Amino acid sequence: MALFIRSSATTLAASYVLLGILALILFALPLSYAWRAAVDDSRLQILTEDSQRLAEVFNRRGATGLESFINERVGLQIAGERILLLTDSSDRALAGNLPAWPANVPEEPGSYTAPIDLDGHLTLVQLVRTHFPGGYNLLVGRDVGKLSPVTTRFWYGLAGAVAVLLVAGVVGGILIRRALLSRIHSIRQTVSAIMHGELSHRLPTGSSSDELNTLSLTINRMLEQIEQLVHGIANVSNAIAHDLRTPLTELRSRLEELSLTRPPPSEAFAEVDAAVADVDQVISIFNALLRLAEIDTGMRRSGFVDVDLVELCARAVEFYVPAAEIRDIDLTFKDESGALHLSGDQLLLAQAVNNLIDNALKYTPPGGTVTVSTVRPSPDSAGVVVADTGPGMTAVQRERATERFFRGDASRGTPGVGLGLSLVDAVARLQGGSLEFSDHQPGLQATINFPGAK
Amino acid sequence: MKVLLVEDNERVTRFVTKGLQEAGHTADHSDNGRDGLFLAASERYDVIIMDRMLPGNIDGLSLISALRQSGNQTPILVLSALADVDERIKGLRAGGDDYLTKPFAFGELLARLDALGRRTRQDGTVTALEVADLRMDLLSRKVARGARQILLQPREFKLLEYLMRHAGQVVTRTMLLENVWDYHFDPQTNVVDVHISKLRQKIEPEPEHSLLRTVRNAGYMLSAE
Repeated sequence: MALFIRSSATTLAASYVLLGILALILFALPLSYAWRAAVDDSRLQILTEDSQRLAEVFNRRGATGLESFINERVGLQIAGERILLLTDSSDRALAGNLPAWPANVPEEPGSYTAPIDLDGHLTLVQLVRTHFPGGYNLLVGRDVGKLSPVTTRFWYGLAGAVAVLLVAGVVGGILIRRALLSRIHSIRQTVSAIMHGELSHRLPTGSSSDELNTLSLTINRMLEQIEQLVHGIANVSNAIAHDLRTPLTELRSRLEELSLTRPPPSEAFAEVDAAVADVDQVISIFNALLRLAEIDTGMRRSGFVDVDLVELCARAVEFYVPAAEIRDIDLTFKDESGALHLSGDQLLLAQAVNNLIDNALKYTPPGGTVTVSTVRPSPDSAGVVVADTGPGMTAVQRERATERFFRGDASRGTPGVGLGLSLVDAVARLQGGSLEFSDHQPGLQATINFPGAK
Repeated sequence: MKVLLVEDNERVTRFVTKGLQEAGHTADHSDNGRDGLFLAASERYDVIIMDRMLPGNIDGLSLISALRQSGNQTPILVLSALADVDERIKGLRAGGDDYLTKPFAFGELLARLDALGRRTRQDGTVTALEVADLRMDLLSRKVARGARQILLQPREFKLLEYLMRHAGQVVTRTMLLENVWDYHFDPQTNVVDVHISKLRQKIEPEPEHSLLRTVRNAGYMLSAE
């Protein structure tokens, strides 16, 4: 029971039932008041008109004329539910359907509501009392209780509505609570499974677009992101273990050999220099990984500024042109987009574009071409395309190219550790965009797509 | 140059102090923030090397802020294991003049110290630079070697200007990347060397009168001798 009371569905249902009852009462009270006032008013008007008509009869035909007129009406039962009584100056009943002047009617002429003894029942009656010259008194009245069944029915109706509301509220509350609890229960089960490390679990979702479903879908997307990050970290740990071990092993054996063989100083120093180069290699891998981690946390999004993408690409190309010339590669920049600005991280975007160019130059044989172009695929998006005439990548390689430490077959014998494209991919994702590879026939075409360009 | 080193790691301290002495500089050392602040405030130094994470209550950055607030304008090189771009920006914002991340090559540190120490001695507005018979007019943006005019592209001009402004000093590849191209990352290639060799072809048609030398394990130096 305590759980039932604490359940939010129950609270909600109860509050709605109370609110419904309150609304009904607020609706019924003024209505009944207005209805009663209107009925009373019209009844009084009828009675007043009636007594005026009788007064006219009195004026035209005198007391006896009125007496016979009243008797005729009572006899014909025209009066219906009406109460009529004519008395003379000594309060003797002359005509009408009351045996005697009722006790509790005030002396003054006017309209009153008073209880009167009718056929032995004390009934609430609305009365109009009129004086005529010669001490005659006329009483015209009408039973107020005539309309009471309507009032009663109205109140019964109201009570019925409240009852229906109560039942519907309670039943609805129970049903909603049961439905909600079962869904929340399944969510809770999934979440506990996830907390126990089964990251592949997802919240149950339906096709409807209600709030709970929308929330579940959002949470599922979040879980996907988390799973991806966790896998990313696991992959990186494995990759670090593998790829840092290689240069570290080399370094260690170099130093150990040095210590064991004790070669002459000139040779020893050459070895020491090589050892320093090994360490530098480790440091550069380390830095690249840290930079990737920094990007993946999304922390750098706070430092976004307006970046001129065309200028950035033009500068990157200018930076690499001398290096391309030496290798007899034609490196050119094509502005196919016009002015292209986006909100981003200047440093990372520059590094990403530079990495793509560096990569393209690395794999393009002498005599080939590398083309960098900025494009605008749609009015509010931007793209940087780097196309080369190198050996390209197979579909499988394209799939795996952005994996950390992945190096294609073509990269054998070229420097690098396989983190360049991972960084480009990470930067593209940080910007909300993507890195895509396609076949340039021959060669590779890498495209970074950015949304939200100006 | 007189250098103050505020650094708590003994090995790094020994490595840096020894290197500085071999390069002909004198070095004072403090292994905590309080003594460092005292030394920096009471003595005159040409450059201060400041570690960020120090024992005691004062860390490197608050020490720099304190010095700057008291009007001390000694150039400060921040030396730190915190390598994030944001950390670097924090260091420069606190009042540091340069930021070098650990682990570092001593050549890099020395070159940056030289550049910082020289900056204070250089007077602000120079309109022409001259190294031996190589002349650069910063206003008309013309370069000449002896009587021969040399045509340079804008970026080459900037590269040569940086080298000439730091004539007689070792300039590392990283310094060139940061100051000439504004690239605060390591492009992992020898592109800077290619730019230098291209520049060399333009300013030194006869290799026997070489002004621009490669310094092993460090970088480049433009000098008259």
